[in-house]
Amino acid sequence: MTNPALIRNFSIIAHIDHGKSTLADRVLQLTHTVAERDMVEQVLDSMDIERERGITIKAQAVRVMYDADDGNTYQLNLIDTPGHVDFTYEVSRSLAACEGVILVVDAAQGVEAQTVANALMAMNAGLEIIPLINKIDLPAADPERVKHEIEEGLAIPADEAVLASGKTGEGVRDALEAVVRLVPPPTGDAGAPLKALIFDSYFDTYRGVVALVRIVDGTLTRGMKVKMMATSTVTDVEEVGVRRPANTPVDLLGVGEVGYLITGLKDPALVKVGDTVTLAKGGATEPLPGYRDVKPMVYTGLYPIDGDQYPDLRDALERLTLNDPALLWEPESSHALGFGFRVGFLGLLHMEVVKERLEREFGLDLLATAPSVEYHAFLTNGDTLSVHSPQDMPDAGKLDRIEEPYLKVTVLVPPEYVGAVMELAEQRRATFKDMQYLSATTVDLHYEMPLSELIMDFFDQLKSRTKGYASLDYEYIGYRESALVKLDILLAGKPVDALSFIVHKDKAYQRGRVLTEKLREIIPRQMFEVPIQAAIGAKIISRETVRAKRKDVLAKCYGGDISRKRKLLEKQKEGKKRMKSVGSVEVPQEAFMAILKVDE
Amino acid sequence: MMGGDPEHTGPPFFAGDDAGHVGADRPPALPRHVYVHVPVCRSKCTYCDFFSLPVDSVPMPPAAIADALLNQTRAWAERGLAVGGVDTLYIGGGTPTMLGDALPGLVSALAIWCEVEQDAEVTVEANPDSLTPALVETLAMAGVTRVSLGVQSFSDAELAVLGRPHDATEARRAAGWVVDSGLALSVDVMCGLPGQDESSWRASVAAAVGCGPSHLSVYPLQVEDDTPLASAIAAGELTVPDEDEVAAMLAAASKMLAAEGFGRYEVANYARPGSESRHNTAYWTGRPYLGIGPGAHGMLDARTARAAGVIVPDGVARVRYGVTPDLREGLGVMPEVEVEYLSGQEAAREDAMLGLRRTRGIDDALAARAGVVQALKSLAAEGLVSRVSGRWAATDRGWLLGNEVFGRVWAGG
Repeated sequence: MTNPALIRNFSIIAHIDHGKSTLADRVLQLTHTVAERDMVEQVLDSMDIERERGITIKAQAVRVMYDADDGNTYQLNLIDTPGHVDFTYEVSRSLAACEGVILVVDAAQGVEAQTVANALMAMNAGLEIIPLINKIDLPAADPERVKHEIEEGLAIPADEAVLASGKTGEGVRDALEAVVRLVPPPTGDAGAPLKALIFDSYFDTYRGVVALVRIVDGTLTRGMKVKMMATSTVTDVEEVGVRRPANTPVDLLGVGEVGYLITGLKDPALVKVGDTVTLAKGGATEPLPGYRDVKPMVYTGLYPIDGDQYPDLRDALERLTLNDPALLWEPESSHALGFGFRVGFLGLLHMEVVKERLEREFGLDLLATAPSVEYHAFLTNGDTLSVHSPQDMPDAGKLDRIEEPYLKVTVLVPPEYVGAVMELAEQRRATFKDMQYLSATTVDLHYEMPLSELIMDFFDQLKSRTKGYASLDYEYIGYRESALVKLDILLAGKPVDALSFIVHKDKAYQRGRVLTEKLREIIPRQMFEVPIQAAIGAKIISRETVRAKRKDVLAKCYGGDISRKRKLLEKQKEGKKRMKSVGSVEVPQEAFMAILKVDE
Repeated sequence: MMGGDPEHTGPPFFAGDDAGHVGADRPPALPRHVYVHVPVCRSKCTYCDFFSLPVDSVPMPPAAIADALLNQTRAWAERGLAVGGVDTLYIGGGTPTMLGDALPGLVSALAIWCEVEQDAEVTVEANPDSLTPALVETLAMAGVTRVSLGVQSFSDAELAVLGRPHDATEARRAAGWVVDSGLALSVDVMCGLPGQDESSWRASVAAAVGCGPSHLSVYPLQVEDDTPLASAIAAGELTVPDEDEVAAMLAAASKMLAAEGFGRYEVANYARPGSESRHNTAYWTGRPYLGIGPGAHGMLDARTARAAGVIVPDGVARVRYGVTPDLREGLGVMPEVEVEYLSGQEAAREDAMLGLRRTRGIDDALAARAGVVQALKSLAAEGLVSRVSGRWAATDRGWLLGNEVFGRVWAGG
């Protein structure tokens, strides 16, 4: 057990691409935590997707031992956090395990949207913030300007900001000195009953659920009986240890320490992020604050392109859920797409990442339908239905009213983009609440808007209309009644369930028209004419036609063209495989995603 | 014997043109059809993705290129194939006429060395800008029987967009020399060109007929990836007629040419009776052919390929090869080749697919051997093919939707 005075728990937070992971790599090297020969880039981002996209999805914790200038050796626990709004809750739990953060800002790019969002989160958590200006080796680096932006935009003193380069390693030692000097050591009551915060978990095939924990009070020892307070699960502690970054067992974890806990539990649903671990007998009466049950915000249908892959998709979802308990799913079927699953996600990035992992790590070819939220349908007979998919929406005749989830949305943006944000918000049925200047360069706008509008590429639109400057945050504020209708798309006279969606009635006509036009472009000409119609109930609101195919290349074919021609035809056949046959109409996958991009 | 329906002219073992071509009792010999690729042009056309280099950039004199092509042909015999009985020789490119005075020598050397038949069809591709009356005369003396003139369009504006190094006047003049020399003339024209409309297309077809050819190749421009034309279209600098317009152009040409006495014997080829290209017909009827020169393709039956020293795995019936498209490598005596193997069934399906390009179509026996009867029945149900007196052939609509027909036949379902 380490004296808490010699422990520092901190996180590194940054806007995407500002060099957070490279900086973490340098910390591991400087403290000899990872041998030179084992060094890979982005050590802490173990998933391929994380490395490629330069994002962090799973939290990580690593313990490094640092010989400081004051002659003491400190135990530094670096907690790497996801940096996306989808994972706000997870980030808040990771930050709750820290006393301080290094706020990394790119020396050329300066303060950006996520810099602000991350800094505000750290401030709200009451953490010590150490600004660090990174990439000072870049020709375009302008640390003085960036210092000014940090002070002006974030109201954080930046005189003493650390100047560093993750690339050259310059300033990394200064950063660790600042952590030792400025981040407060953890405090807690070693004599009190155990209280440990679970800030993330993952599944190990051999050991079951592994929880990453921060000890707040008491000690955690191998062999003790503990209780997960939120799920009232009692279990034995099989192993405790620290991550360096490989799991290294220790006898016990004391106040302020960060490590892992293996209990042998196999069900991730019993070990929840944010829950408090205490003693099974004589444990704490009050859990640590901040726990909540994470609920999916966005739903989509996932279908294998090749129907034979359905069982593989089920297995893959089961496997992923072990590491990602926030993922919820149930079987669903569609006339157009066959058998698949309705899957619930924390947000759009979460959805994208899960889809990509399913495709890459499990070799599946998937089609995702337009995302949806959970609507509450109140029927005239007094019943209430939870609707996760347009297919489940009851007929208008049976409906009394529909409610949809609303958000309080916060947008931070430089003043010159306020107009652009206002315009977008208005298109998305947002109600303006108020705005205020945080500084001369940052305006804080508040809206209330339906979640269903947010998941329709709102974030992308916001980014593109503000040249990437806007930052977005939101919280759920409850259900509100809305005039919603179900819009159906008919191909060759037959409704295609997977193309239906729910939309506000004032926008139905325009959406229907844009979508039929888009589908006309996307659906290739077929052997026969294909009418595309948008309808609300029995009423057709727009119609387009894909004309029958007349000519399909028949260039010359001499000696040298034969192999090439054959390969071309094979490629064409592969292309057809990537389409879905809806009745007799071949529909490319993009058609099912077209609903998402109706603003283009 | 010149002329006559090409599928009735061959010696006995070619008789049934769908019946397969391997004379098991005959010693392995050179294929009866030889294609020689001349890999140089005056300049690169904007739509071309064949292997060919601007002549100025090639560090070899024309005579050296001609020698290398001849040596590569001879090497096949040295590998053990009996020489003789070559029925068609086709010098294509590129632009063979860019070899200038070295070309007649190459043709006569090839003809002599291959021991071409008395009535062989010997074709040379020519571009209007590199043909002269003297060259036509010497080519005729060297044994050439047929000149295929790459004109593509009789609109100067369209020619300019294609990057062709000639105009319509030069094309007419060159065609005149060929006709005057008594050689058979074939003219190529393309529709679907940037800036083309139906009236300029009709004018090109009429002008082509006016040149006095016995054979015409008529096909739509295909925009190939990674060509300057494809970039210009992608950048919005050029637009090409849409598929409906191109379909109308093809139908118009078919009608005009029929009225002039040209029969459509293949999707993209028209001829006066008896003037059908025997060389190209060999491609569409599954006959082996030798490919010589960089970027050239050849096809051999497995037995012949083995006799020539090609390693052929068991179960392979047909070998296709492509000579590496590189000036040095591809002109060598034993050039690098990329080989593709086809099983007996694949070879039959390929024959069925290619046979459906022809007006004659394919017979029941080939359809059965290829395992494509079901595919043909479903295509017939959609009006894309029809079956008349034991033969399956594409309808007019089937020809226009060739990829649908060929694709489903090749897939076998």
